[in-house]
Amino acid sequence: MIVDGIPAALGWHGSWEQHRGGLWLEVPDLDVRSMATFMRENEVRLITMTVRPEPSGGYRFMYHWDSDGSLMTVVTIVTGGKIASIADILPAADWVEREIRDYYAVEFEGREGMKSLMLLEGDEPGLFSRTAGLGHDIDPADAARMQEGETTKEVDR
Amino acid sequence: MSIVPMGPYHPALEEPYKIDAICEGELVTGCNIQVGFNFRGIEWLAERKNYTQDLALFERVCGICSNVHTLTFSRAIENLAGLEVPERAQYIRVVVAEAERLHSHLLWAGVACELIGFQTLFMTCFALREKVMDVLEAISGNRVNYAMNRPGGVNRDILDPASVLEAVKAIADVTRTRLIPVMTTDATVRARCAGVGVLTREQAIAWGAVGPMARASGLPQDIRIAEPYEAYDRLSFDVPVLPDGDVFARVVVRALEILESCKIIEQALEQMPAGPFRGPDFPVIPAGEATARIEGPRGEVFYYVVSDGSDVPLRVRVRTPTFANMPTVQTMVKNQNLADVPLIQASIDPCYSCTDR
Repeated sequence: MIVDGIPAALGWHGSWEQHRGGLWLEVPDLDVRSMATFMRENEVRLITMTVRPEPSGGYRFMYHWDSDGSLMTVVTIVTGGKIASIADILPAADWVEREIRDYYAVEFEGREGMKSLMLLEGDEPGLFSRTAGLGHDIDPADAARMQEGETTKEVDR
Repeated sequence: MSIVPMGPYHPALEEPYKIDAICEGELVTGCNIQVGFNFRGIEWLAERKNYTQDLALFERVCGICSNVHTLTFSRAIENLAGLEVPERAQYIRVVVAEAERLHSHLLWAGVACELIGFQTLFMTCFALREKVMDVLEAISGNRVNYAMNRPGGVNRDILDPASVLEAVKAIADVTRTRLIPVMTTDATVRARCAGVGVLTREQAIAWGAVGPMARASGLPQDIRIAEPYEAYDRLSFDVPVLPDGDVFARVVVRALEILESCKIIEQALEQMPAGPFRGPDFPVIPAGEATARIEGPRGEVFYYVVSDGSDVPLRVRVRTPTFANMPTVQTMVKNQNLADVPLIQASIDPCYSCTDR
């Protein structure tokens, strides 16, 4: 697969930017299912997905791909707490999506009844979001079961 | 249909996790895997500690491959801060990384031999592994958690390259004359492993398999070659790739990789130039985001780091090789014998602590 041709093949505006460990491209209206289908057909491997909260709300979703040794990161912003699942297209996404839900309570459309991966059965998803204001002296295992507002210690940056 | 639960605590599993094998008689038709028993919230903790503390934290993602995690984290910071690593430090990093690969592969080979029922080869593997542990202890002062890496360099020099070279030559010699001939030609190993737990090339890509798993399924995937880091572009070595995708192919790929790692260490020690190795004491980490990946013993290790310019990262993402490889067991056990499930899961060289983080 020729990496340079991927943005045009998927109808994305712009081209890869090479910096800090790989190729990056931000795609505002990303159709993740078309991307996953294209990548699978062209033997591009999903490395993982990274999510982090945006200061203005919503989440920054990063899909990290490998094509013949080239590391590509496709970035999109997700608002509304929902994004389409790609796990039925690429099984490599199955555990990643479950883990993201565990940490940020993001819902993956098309995956009803999704089980948690890291958290215990019955634990509320969104561990990282729910405990964002907690300090380093809290055990994350306790934090998982802690109700919002029980601890007020702020992160000391 | 019956469901046979294995784990979370089971003699065939070194760490807690659970497989529910769905069976028709002795035939496995599918399985469900449950992980998270070792969940320590390391990514969560990393957002609450400074970069120096995080180095110690990431060293503890894995008990076997501790070095690869500090190396990948350091490389992500170096990408972010634009730090250059001194040439001697690059070679030292290669020597420690390959010694860790030897340690990991020999440990796995020993455990696999035990599962196959080959006790004498198990003892051979563990005796060799002990030599590697001695080398790592001599270099770093520790048998695990070597604390070698820091952003921009390494913490310790290799003071006695001759003794490392001697140990590595002895490991290569036994591997070449005893381990590889037995593992590749012995009727017991072949009968137990050939044709078992096949992962095809197409499945390996779709499931995102990495490292020896991918290479045993015909994918010539190795970050040391595809995206060379440290001193790998100055060293000559082969990447064993086999097309069969079964447990036997994984055994052979790892056995051959032991020899390649010995070859890499020998060259690195011979080429290692004199000079500084430490790097800066307190590097300034600017705001921004970066990724890094390296080829660990079990495959690609991936880190993403984002900084706001303070001494605490905003977010660190860690994708370990077993996290990518473990789900493939769900497809590999289909239409296999129930008795082969422990061997198939062991053939990925799983690390559940890594997976759970």
